[in-house]
Amino acid sequence: MHDFDWSSIPNALPFLWDGMKISLEITLSAVVFGIVWGTLLALMRLSSVTPLSWFAAGYVNLFRAVPLVMVLLWFFLIVPHLLESIFGFPRGSDMRLSSAIAGFALFEAAYYSEIIRAGIQSVPKGQMAAASALGMTYGQAMRLVVLPQAFRNMVPLLLTQGIILFQDTSLVYVSALADFFGAAYKVGDRDGRLVELLLFAGAVYFVICFTASRIVRYYQNKLKTA
Amino acid sequence: MISMNKVSKHYGAFQVLTDCTTQVQKGEVIVVCGPSGSGKSTLIKCVNGLEPFQSGEIIVNGVSVGAPATNLSKLRSTVGMVFQNFELFPHMSIIDNLSIAQLKVLGRNQEQAREKGYKLLDRVGLREQAEKYPGQLSGGQQQRVAIARALAMDPICMLFDEPTSALDPEMVNEVLDVMTELAKEGMTMMCVTHEMGFAKRVASRVIFMDQGRIVEDDSKEAFFEHARSERAQQFLAKILHH
Repeated sequence: MHDFDWSSIPNALPFLWDGMKISLEITLSAVVFGIVWGTLLALMRLSSVTPLSWFAAGYVNLFRAVPLVMVLLWFFLIVPHLLESIFGFPRGSDMRLSSAIAGFALFEAAYYSEIIRAGIQSVPKGQMAAASALGMTYGQAMRLVVLPQAFRNMVPLLLTQGIILFQDTSLVYVSALADFFGAAYKVGDRDGRLVELLLFAGAVYFVICFTASRIVRYYQNKLKTA
Repeated sequence: MISMNKVSKHYGAFQVLTDCTTQVQKGEVIVVCGPSGSGKSTLIKCVNGLEPFQSGEIIVNGVSVGAPATNLSKLRSTVGMVFQNFELFPHMSIIDNLSIAQLKVLGRNQEQAREKGYKLLDRVGLREQAEKYPGQLSGGQQQRVAIARALAMDPICMLFDEPTSALDPEMVNEVLDVMTELAKEGMTMMCVTHEMGFAKRVASRVIFMDQGRIVEDDSKEAFFEHARSERAQQFLAKILHH
Protein backbone atom coordinates (compact mmCIF):
# COMPACT_ATOMS: atom_id res chain seq x y z
CA MET A 1 0.00 0.00 0.00
CA HIS A 2 1.26 3.42 -0.99
CA ASP A 3 2.04 5.82 1.85
CA PHE A 4 0.50 9.13 0.85
CA ASP A 5 2.46 12.25 1.68
CA TRP A 6 0.90 15.49 0.49
CA SER A 7 3.40 17.77 2.16
CA SER A 8 5.17 18.81 -1.02
CA ILE A 9 2.02 20.38 -2.47
CA PRO A 10 1.62 23.52 -0.31
CA ASN A 11 5.13 24.75 -1.06
CA ALA A 12 4.71 24.01 -4.74
CA LEU A 13 1.47 26.00 -5.08
CA PRO A 14 3.04 29.18 -6.52
CA PHE A 15 4.86 27.11 -9.12
CA LEU A 16 1.70 25.17 -9.92
CA TRP A 17 -0.23 28.43 -10.24
CA ASP A 18 2.32 29.68 -12.78
CA GLY A 19 1.69 26.47 -14.67
CA MET A 20 -2.07 27.02 -14.50
CA LYS A 21 -1.61 30.49 -15.94
CA ILE A 22 0.23 28.99 -18.92
CA SER A 23 -2.53 26.40 -19.41
CA LEU A 24 -5.18 29.11 -19.32
CA GLU A 25 -3.20 31.37 -21.62
CA ILE A 26 -2.88 28.62 -24.19
CA THR A 27 -6.56 27.72 -23.87
CA LEU A 28 -7.86 31.27 -24.20
CA SER A 29 -5.59 32.23 -27.08
CA ALA A 30 -6.36 29.02 -28.93
CA VAL A 31 -10.12 29.43 -28.39
CA VAL A 32 -10.08 33.02 -29.66
CA PHE A 33 -7.83 32.39 -32.67
CA GLY A 34 -9.48 29.05 -33.31
CA ILE A 35 -12.96 30.59 -33.47
CA VAL A 36 -11.86 33.46 -35.70
CA TRP A 37 -9.94 31.22 -38.09
CA GLY A 38 -12.62 28.53 -37.80
CA THR A 39 -15.30 31.06 -38.82
CA LEU A 40 -13.28 32.03 -41.87
CA LEU A 41 -12.78 28.36 -42.74
CA ALA A 42 -16.51 27.70 -42.35
CA LEU A 43 -17.36 30.63 -44.63
CA MET A 44 -14.83 29.38 -47.18
CA ARG A 45 -16.25 25.89 -46.98
CA LEU A 46 -19.76 27.18 -47.65
CA SER A 47 -18.59 29.56 -50.35
CA SER A 48 -19.56 28.99 -53.95
CA VAL A 49 -15.97 29.79 -54.99
CA THR A 50 -14.66 26.28 -55.56
CA PRO A 51 -10.95 26.78 -54.74
CA LEU A 52 -11.87 28.33 -51.39
CA SER A 53 -14.23 25.55 -50.39
CA TRP A 54 -11.69 22.93 -51.49
CA PHE A 55 -8.96 24.57 -49.49
CA ALA A 56 -11.15 24.67 -46.38
CA ALA A 57 -12.32 21.09 -46.83
CA GLY A 58 -8.72 19.92 -47.29
CA TYR A 59 -7.56 21.84 -44.25
CA VAL A 60 -10.32 20.51 -42.01
CA ASN A 61 -9.91 16.94 -43.17
CA LEU A 62 -6.14 17.04 -42.74
CA PHE A 63 -6.20 18.36 -39.19
CA ARG A 64 -9.03 16.10 -38.14
CA ALA A 65 -7.18 13.07 -39.41
CA VAL A 66 -3.92 13.51 -37.50
CA PRO A 67 -3.32 13.22 -33.76
CA LEU A 68 -3.11 16.50 -31.85
CA VAL A 69 0.14 15.53 -30.16
CA MET A 70 1.75 15.13 -33.57
CA VAL A 71 0.65 18.57 -34.71
CA LEU A 72 2.13 19.98 -31.51
CA LEU A 73 5.41 18.25 -32.15
CA TRP A 74 5.54 19.57 -35.69
CA PHE A 75 5.15 23.03 -34.31
CA PHE A 76 7.77 22.57 -31.59
CA LEU A 77 10.30 21.07 -33.95
CA ILE A 78 9.71 22.71 -37.29
CA VAL A 79 8.21 26.15 -36.81
CA PRO A 80 11.02 27.62 -34.63
CA HIS A 81 13.53 26.52 -37.27
CA LEU A 82 11.46 28.13 -40.00
CA LEU A 83 11.21 31.38 -38.08
CA GLU A 84 14.92 31.35 -37.39
CA SER A 85 15.80 30.87 -41.02
CA ILE A 86 13.16 33.16 -42.51
CA PHE A 87 12.94 36.03 -40.06
CA GLY A 88 16.39 35.68 -38.50
CA PHE A 89 15.08 35.01 -34.99
CA PRO A 90 17.97 34.48 -32.62
CA ARG A 91 18.90 30.85 -32.43
CA GLY A 92 17.62 28.95 -29.43
CA SER A 93 15.07 31.58 -28.38
CA ASP A 94 12.24 30.00 -26.41
CA MET A 95 9.35 29.69 -28.78
CA ARG A 96 7.64 26.84 -27.02
CA LEU A 97 4.70 28.86 -25.74
CA SER A 98 4.01 30.60 -29.06
CA SER A 99 4.46 27.32 -30.91
CA ALA A 100 2.01 25.65 -28.58
CA ILE A 101 -0.56 28.41 -29.03
CA ALA A 102 -0.14 28.36 -32.81
CA GLY A 103 -0.40 24.59 -32.95
CA PHE A 104 -3.53 24.46 -30.80
CA ALA A 105 -5.18 27.36 -32.62
CA LEU A 106 -4.65 25.86 -36.07
CA PHE A 107 -5.71 22.41 -34.90
CA GLU A 108 -8.78 23.57 -33.01
CA ALA A 109 -9.84 25.82 -35.90
CA ALA A 110 -10.55 22.66 -37.88
CA TYR A 111 -12.98 21.49 -35.19
CA TYR A 112 -14.45 24.93 -34.60
CA SER A 113 -15.06 25.38 -38.32
CA GLU A 114 -17.21 22.25 -38.39
CA ILE A 115 -19.24 23.45 -35.40
CA ILE A 116 -19.63 26.88 -36.97
CA ARG A 117 -20.53 25.46 -40.37
CA ALA A 118 -23.31 23.42 -38.78
CA GLY A 119 -24.39 26.54 -36.87
CA ILE A 120 -24.60 28.62 -40.04
CA GLN A 121 -26.57 25.89 -41.76
CA SER A 122 -28.97 25.69 -38.84
CA VAL A 123 -30.14 29.25 -39.52
CA PRO A 124 -33.18 29.02 -41.83
CA LYS A 125 -32.38 29.83 -45.45
CA GLY A 126 -35.17 32.40 -45.46
CA GLN A 127 -33.11 34.64 -43.19
CA MET A 128 -30.43 35.06 -45.84
CA ALA A 129 -33.15 35.57 -48.46
CA ALA A 130 -34.88 38.22 -46.35
CA ALA A 131 -31.62 40.07 -45.68
CA SER A 132 -30.73 39.93 -49.38
CA ALA A 133 -34.21 41.11 -50.34
CA LEU A 134 -33.62 44.21 -48.21
CA GLY A 135 -30.59 45.01 -50.32
CA MET A 136 -27.88 43.71 -48.00
CA THR A 137 -24.77 42.30 -49.63
CA TYR A 138 -23.77 38.71 -48.87
CA GLY A 139 -21.20 39.98 -46.37
CA GLN A 140 -23.68 42.24 -44.57
CA ALA A 141 -26.32 39.51 -44.44
CA MET A 142 -23.79 37.06 -42.97
CA ARG A 143 -22.38 39.50 -40.45
CA LEU A 144 -25.61 41.17 -39.32
CA VAL A 145 -28.20 38.45 -39.67
CA VAL A 146 -26.88 34.89 -40.07
CA LEU A 147 -23.73 34.74 -37.91
CA PRO A 148 -25.25 36.35 -34.79
CA GLN A 149 -28.02 33.74 -34.80
CA ALA A 150 -25.61 30.94 -35.61
CA PHE A 151 -23.29 31.89 -32.74
CA ARG A 152 -26.13 32.16 -30.28
CA ASN A 153 -27.11 28.58 -31.03
CA MET A 154 -23.51 27.43 -30.97
CA VAL A 155 -22.28 28.93 -27.71
CA PRO A 156 -22.72 25.70 -25.69
CA LEU A 157 -20.85 23.63 -28.30
CA LEU A 158 -18.07 26.18 -28.61
CA LEU A 159 -17.63 26.27 -24.84
CA THR A 160 -17.65 22.49 -24.60
CA GLN A 161 -14.93 22.37 -27.25
CA GLY A 162 -13.05 24.93 -25.14
CA ILE A 163 -13.24 22.63 -22.12
CA ILE A 164 -11.84 19.75 -24.15
CA LEU A 165 -9.11 22.07 -25.36
CA PHE A 166 -8.24 23.01 -21.78
CA GLN A 167 -7.73 19.35 -20.97
CA ASP A 168 -5.72 18.82 -24.12
CA THR A 169 -3.29 21.61 -23.22
CA SER A 170 -1.66 19.06 -20.91
CA LEU A 171 -0.18 17.57 -24.08
CA VAL A 172 2.35 20.39 -24.20
CA TYR A 173 4.37 18.35 -21.73
CA VAL A 174 5.95 16.79 -24.86
CA SER A 175 7.88 20.06 -25.20
CA ALA A 176 8.74 20.19 -21.49
CA LEU A 177 6.72 23.41 -21.25
CA ALA A 178 5.66 23.89 -17.63
CA ASP A 179 1.90 24.17 -17.98
CA PHE A 180 -0.19 23.05 -15.01
CA PHE A 181 0.22 19.38 -15.77
CA GLY A 182 3.91 19.80 -16.59
CA ALA A 183 4.49 21.74 -13.37
CA ALA A 184 2.76 19.09 -11.28
CA TYR A 185 4.80 16.40 -12.97
CA LYS A 186 8.04 18.27 -12.33
CA VAL A 187 7.31 18.81 -8.65
CA GLY A 188 6.28 15.19 -8.17
CA ASP A 189 9.35 13.95 -9.97
CA ARG A 190 11.65 16.18 -7.93
CA ASP A 191 10.16 15.18 -4.56
CA GLY A 192 9.53 11.57 -5.43
CA ARG A 193 5.81 12.20 -4.90
CA LEU A 194 4.53 11.70 -8.44
CA VAL A 195 1.37 9.80 -7.47
CA GLU A 196 0.20 12.50 -5.05
CA LEU A 197 0.93 15.32 -7.48
CA LEU A 198 -0.82 13.61 -10.37
CA LEU A 199 -3.85 12.85 -8.19
CA PHE A 200 -3.92 16.47 -7.10
CA ALA A 201 -3.58 17.71 -10.69
CA GLY A 202 -6.35 15.36 -11.77
CA ALA A 203 -8.64 16.68 -9.05
CA VAL A 204 -7.96 20.26 -10.11
CA TYR A 205 -8.68 19.47 -13.78
CA PHE A 206 -11.85 17.69 -12.73
CA VAL A 207 -13.16 20.54 -10.59
CA ILE A 208 -12.49 23.15 -13.26
CA CYS A 209 -13.90 21.15 -16.17
CA PHE A 210 -16.89 19.84 -14.26
CA THR A 211 -17.82 23.32 -13.05
CA ALA A 212 -17.39 24.74 -16.53
CA SER A 213 -19.55 22.07 -18.13
CA ARG A 214 -22.24 22.66 -15.49
CA ILE A 215 -22.23 26.33 -16.46
CA VAL A 216 -22.51 25.36 -20.12
CA ARG A 217 -25.47 23.14 -19.36
CA TYR A 218 -27.16 25.90 -17.38
CA TYR A 219 -26.71 28.24 -20.34
CA GLN A 220 -28.00 25.57 -22.70
CA ASN A 221 -31.19 25.16 -20.70
CA LYS A 222 -31.65 28.88 -20.63
CA LEU A 223 -31.30 29.00 -24.42
CA LYS A 224 -33.88 26.26 -24.79
CA THR A 225 -36.47 28.05 -22.72
CA ALA A 226 -35.78 31.47 -24.25
CA MET B 1 -42.37 48.96 -63.98
CA ILE B 2 -41.76 45.19 -64.28
CA SER B 3 -41.43 43.47 -67.59
CA MET B 4 -40.79 39.76 -68.10
CA ASN B 5 -39.96 38.29 -71.42
CA LYS B 6 -39.84 34.53 -72.02
CA VAL B 7 -38.37 33.74 -68.61
CA SER B 8 -37.40 30.08 -68.21
CA LYS B 9 -35.76 28.24 -65.37
CA HIS B 10 -34.87 24.66 -64.67
CA TYR B 11 -33.25 22.68 -61.87
CA GLY B 12 -31.30 20.06 -63.77
CA ALA B 13 -33.81 18.33 -65.99
CA PHE B 14 -36.80 19.71 -64.07
CA GLN B 15 -38.41 22.65 -65.82
CA VAL B 16 -39.76 25.10 -63.22
CA LEU B 17 -40.65 28.04 -65.45
CA THR B 18 -41.30 28.01 -69.17
CA ASP B 19 -41.46 31.14 -71.32
CA CYS B 20 -43.15 33.37 -68.77
CA THR B 21 -44.03 36.72 -70.26
CA THR B 22 -45.96 39.54 -68.61
CA GLN B 23 -45.89 43.24 -67.79
CA VAL B 24 -46.73 45.08 -64.61
CA GLN B 25 -47.53 48.79 -64.93
CA LYS B 26 -46.98 51.34 -62.21
CA GLY B 27 -49.81 51.20 -59.66
CA GLU B 28 -51.10 47.82 -60.77
CA VAL B 29 -51.88 45.05 -58.32
CA ILE B 30 -51.23 41.64 -59.83
CA VAL B 31 -52.41 38.50 -58.08
CA VAL B 32 -50.51 35.38 -59.08
CA CYS B 33 -52.31 32.14 -58.33
CA GLY B 34 -52.24 28.51 -59.31
CA PRO B 35 -51.91 25.04 -57.84
CA SER B 36 -48.93 24.33 -55.62
CA GLY B 37 -45.79 23.53 -57.55
CA SER B 38 -46.94 25.66 -60.47
CA GLY B 39 -43.91 27.96 -60.16
CA LYS B 40 -45.65 31.08 -58.87
CA SER B 41 -43.32 31.64 -55.90
CA THR B 42 -40.31 30.98 -58.10
CA LEU B 43 -41.62 33.50 -60.60
CA ILE B 44 -41.84 36.39 -58.17
CA LYS B 45 -38.50 35.49 -56.60
CA CYS B 46 -36.99 35.89 -60.05
CA VAL B 47 -38.20 39.49 -60.12
CA ASN B 48 -35.66 40.58 -57.48
CA GLY B 49 -33.08 38.00 -58.44
CA LEU B 50 -33.45 35.79 -55.35
CA GLU B 51 -33.92 32.94 -57.81
CA PRO B 52 -31.63 32.93 -60.82
CA PHE B 53 -33.11 32.00 -64.20
CA GLN B 54 -31.43 30.56 -67.25
CA SER B 55 -33.06 32.32 -70.14
CA GLY B 56 -35.30 35.25 -70.92
CA GLU B 57 -35.22 38.73 -69.48
CA ILE B 58 -36.71 40.62 -66.54
CA ILE B 59 -36.52 44.39 -66.48
CA VAL B 60 -37.38 46.17 -63.24
CA ASN B 61 -37.56 49.94 -63.47
CA GLY B 62 -35.20 49.91 -66.45
CA VAL B 63 -32.66 47.53 -64.89
CA SER B 64 -32.12 44.03 -66.25
CA VAL B 65 -32.23 41.56 -63.34
CA GLY B 66 -30.32 38.76 -65.04
CA ALA B 67 -27.52 40.88 -66.52
CA PRO B 68 -24.12 40.06 -64.97
CA ALA B 69 -23.26 43.75 -64.58
CA THR B 70 -26.37 44.49 -62.53
CA ASN B 71 -25.83 45.37 -58.90
CA LEU B 72 -28.46 43.04 -57.47
CA SER B 73 -28.19 44.35 -53.91
CA LYS B 74 -28.94 47.84 -55.13
CA LEU B 75 -31.86 46.63 -57.21
CA ARG B 76 -33.29 44.64 -54.30
CA SER B 77 -33.13 47.63 -51.99
CA THR B 78 -35.74 49.25 -54.26
CA VAL B 79 -38.05 46.21 -54.40
CA GLY B 80 -39.85 45.23 -51.21
CA MET B 81 -40.49 41.59 -50.50
CA VAL B 82 -42.69 39.83 -47.96
CA PHE B 83 -42.23 36.12 -47.29
CA GLN B 84 -44.55 33.32 -46.32
CA ASN B 85 -42.72 32.78 -43.01
CA PHE B 86 -42.24 36.49 -42.22
CA GLU B 87 -38.46 36.06 -41.82
CA LEU B 88 -38.10 38.79 -39.25
CA PHE B 89 -34.66 38.76 -37.66
CA PRO B 90 -35.30 37.02 -34.31
CA HIS B 91 -32.22 38.44 -32.57
CA MET B 92 -33.29 42.04 -33.10
CA SER B 93 -36.11 44.09 -31.58
CA ILE B 94 -38.98 45.08 -33.88
CA ILE B 95 -37.68 48.62 -34.31
CA ASP B 96 -34.18 47.29 -35.09
CA ASN B 97 -35.72 44.97 -37.67
CA LEU B 98 -37.14 48.05 -39.34
CA SER B 99 -33.97 50.14 -39.03
CA ILE B 100 -31.12 47.78 -39.85
CA ALA B 101 -31.34 47.87 -43.64
CA GLN B 102 -32.08 51.59 -43.65
CA LEU B 103 -28.84 52.12 -41.72
CA LYS B 104 -26.62 49.65 -43.52
CA VAL B 105 -28.02 49.73 -47.04
CA LEU B 106 -29.50 53.21 -47.50
CA GLY B 107 -27.00 54.93 -45.21
CA ARG B 108 -29.67 56.76 -43.19
CA ASN B 109 -28.70 57.80 -39.70
CA GLN B 110 -30.10 56.22 -36.55
CA GLU B 111 -32.56 59.04 -35.94
CA GLN B 112 -33.99 59.05 -39.47
CA ALA B 113 -34.23 55.27 -39.52
CA ARG B 114 -36.05 55.06 -36.20
CA GLU B 115 -38.42 57.87 -37.07
CA LYS B 116 -39.31 56.12 -40.31
CA GLY B 117 -39.63 52.83 -38.44
CA TYR B 118 -42.00 54.24 -35.83
CA LYS B 119 -44.09 55.93 -38.52
CA LEU B 120 -44.55 52.62 -40.34
CA LEU B 121 -45.29 50.73 -37.14
CA ASP B 122 -48.00 53.28 -36.49
CA ARG B 123 -49.38 52.62 -39.90
CA VAL B 124 -49.63 48.86 -39.35
CA GLY B 125 -50.96 49.48 -35.83
CA LEU B 126 -47.99 48.06 -33.92
CA ARG B 127 -46.27 51.10 -32.47
CA GLU B 128 -46.51 49.71 -28.90
CA GLN B 129 -44.62 46.57 -29.92
CA ALA B 130 -41.51 48.45 -31.12
CA GLU B 131 -39.20 47.28 -28.33
CA LYS B 132 -40.38 43.66 -28.32
CA TYR B 133 -38.78 40.78 -30.16
CA PRO B 134 -40.38 38.93 -33.09
CA GLY B 135 -40.92 35.78 -30.99
CA GLN B 136 -43.23 37.73 -28.68
CA LEU B 137 -45.63 38.67 -31.49
CA SER B 138 -48.42 36.68 -33.10
CA GLY B 139 -48.01 35.51 -36.69
CA GLY B 140 -50.30 38.22 -38.01
CA GLN B 141 -48.40 40.90 -36.12
CA GLN B 142 -45.08 39.55 -37.37
CA GLN B 143 -46.27 39.66 -40.94
CA ARG B 144 -47.45 43.25 -40.52
CA VAL B 145 -44.00 44.10 -39.15
CA ALA B 146 -42.45 42.37 -42.16
CA ILE B 147 -44.54 44.54 -44.48
CA ALA B 148 -43.49 47.64 -42.54
CA ARG B 149 -39.86 46.55 -42.74
CA ALA B 150 -40.08 46.30 -46.52
CA LEU B 151 -41.84 49.68 -46.75
CA ALA B 152 -39.14 51.33 -44.66
CA MET B 153 -36.86 51.07 -47.69
CA ASP B 154 -39.27 53.23 -49.74
CA PRO B 155 -39.64 50.55 -52.40
CA ILE B 156 -40.93 51.30 -55.88
CA CYS B 157 -42.90 48.05 -55.87
CA MET B 158 -43.72 45.20 -53.50
CA LEU B 159 -43.59 41.45 -53.94
CA PHE B 160 -45.67 39.20 -51.69
CA ASP B 161 -44.93 35.49 -51.57
CA GLU B 162 -47.98 33.80 -50.01
CA PRO B 163 -48.07 36.31 -47.17
CA THR B 164 -51.04 34.71 -45.41
CA SER B 165 -50.52 30.97 -45.94
CA ALA B 166 -48.58 30.46 -42.70
CA LEU B 167 -51.15 32.31 -40.61
CA ASP B 168 -53.98 31.06 -38.44
CA PRO B 169 -57.27 31.90 -40.16
CA GLU B 170 -58.24 34.61 -37.70
CA MET B 171 -55.06 36.54 -38.50
CA VAL B 172 -55.38 36.51 -42.26
CA ASN B 173 -57.56 39.58 -42.44
CA GLU B 174 -55.34 41.92 -40.45
CA VAL B 175 -52.58 41.26 -43.00
CA LEU B 176 -54.88 41.52 -46.01
CA ASP B 177 -56.20 44.82 -44.65
CA VAL B 178 -52.70 46.27 -44.61
CA MET B 179 -52.14 45.03 -48.16
CA THR B 180 -55.47 46.45 -49.34
CA GLU B 181 -54.60 49.80 -47.80
CA LEU B 182 -51.27 49.73 -49.59
CA ALA B 183 -52.91 48.94 -52.92
CA LYS B 184 -55.33 51.83 -52.48
CA GLU B 185 -52.40 54.18 -52.03
CA GLY B 186 -51.19 53.18 -55.47
CA MET B 187 -48.33 50.82 -54.60
CA THR B 188 -47.33 48.54 -57.45
CA MET B 189 -47.75 44.99 -56.14
CA MET B 190 -47.25 41.42 -57.24
CA CYS B 191 -48.91 38.99 -54.83
CA VAL B 192 -48.74 35.24 -54.85
CA THR B 193 -51.80 34.28 -52.86
CA HIS B 194 -54.73 31.90 -52.63
CA GLU B 195 -56.93 34.61 -51.15
CA MET B 196 -59.41 34.94 -53.97
CA GLY B 197 -61.52 37.40 -51.98
CA PHE B 198 -58.51 39.71 -51.88
CA ALA B 199 -57.98 39.19 -55.61
CA LYS B 200 -61.59 40.08 -56.37
CA ARG B 201 -61.50 43.20 -54.26
CA VAL B 202 -58.06 44.55 -54.97
CA ALA B 203 -56.38 43.02 -58.01
CA SER B 204 -56.11 44.84 -61.28
CA ARG B 205 -55.09 41.65 -63.04
CA VAL B 206 -54.86 37.97 -62.23
CA ILE B 207 -52.13 35.67 -63.51
CA PHE B 208 -52.88 31.96 -63.34
CA MET B 209 -49.95 29.57 -63.54
CA ASP B 210 -49.82 25.85 -64.12
CA GLN B 211 -46.76 23.65 -64.53
CA GLY B 212 -44.40 26.59 -64.85
CA ARG B 213 -46.38 28.40 -67.52
CA ILE B 214 -48.50 31.51 -67.36
CA VAL B 215 -51.81 30.07 -68.51
CA GLU B 216 -54.03 33.08 -67.93
CA ASP B 217 -53.13 36.74 -67.65
CA ASP B 218 -56.28 38.79 -67.63
CA SER B 219 -58.36 41.38 -65.84
CA LYS B 220 -59.89 39.98 -62.67
CA GLU B 221 -63.39 40.26 -64.13
CA ALA B 222 -62.44 38.19 -67.12
CA PHE B 223 -60.58 35.69 -64.96
CA PHE B 224 -63.29 35.09 -62.39
CA GLU B 225 -66.23 35.20 -64.78
CA HIS B 226 -64.94 33.23 -67.68
CA ALA B 227 -61.52 31.74 -67.24
CA ARG B 228 -60.54 30.31 -70.60
CA SER B 229 -58.43 27.31 -69.67
CA GLU B 230 -59.92 24.19 -68.24
CA ARG B 231 -57.14 24.09 -65.64
CA ALA B 232 -58.07 27.51 -64.30
CA GLN B 233 -61.75 26.62 -64.22
CA GLN B 234 -60.98 23.52 -62.16
CA PHE B 235 -58.75 25.52 -59.85
CA LEU B 236 -61.40 28.15 -59.29
CA ALA B 237 -64.11 25.56 -58.76
CA LYS B 238 -62.01 23.96 -56.05
CA ILE B 239 -60.81 27.06 -54.31
CA LEU B 240 -64.10 29.00 -54.37
CA HIS B 241 -66.01 26.01 -53.15
CA HIS B 242 -65.10 26.57 -49.55
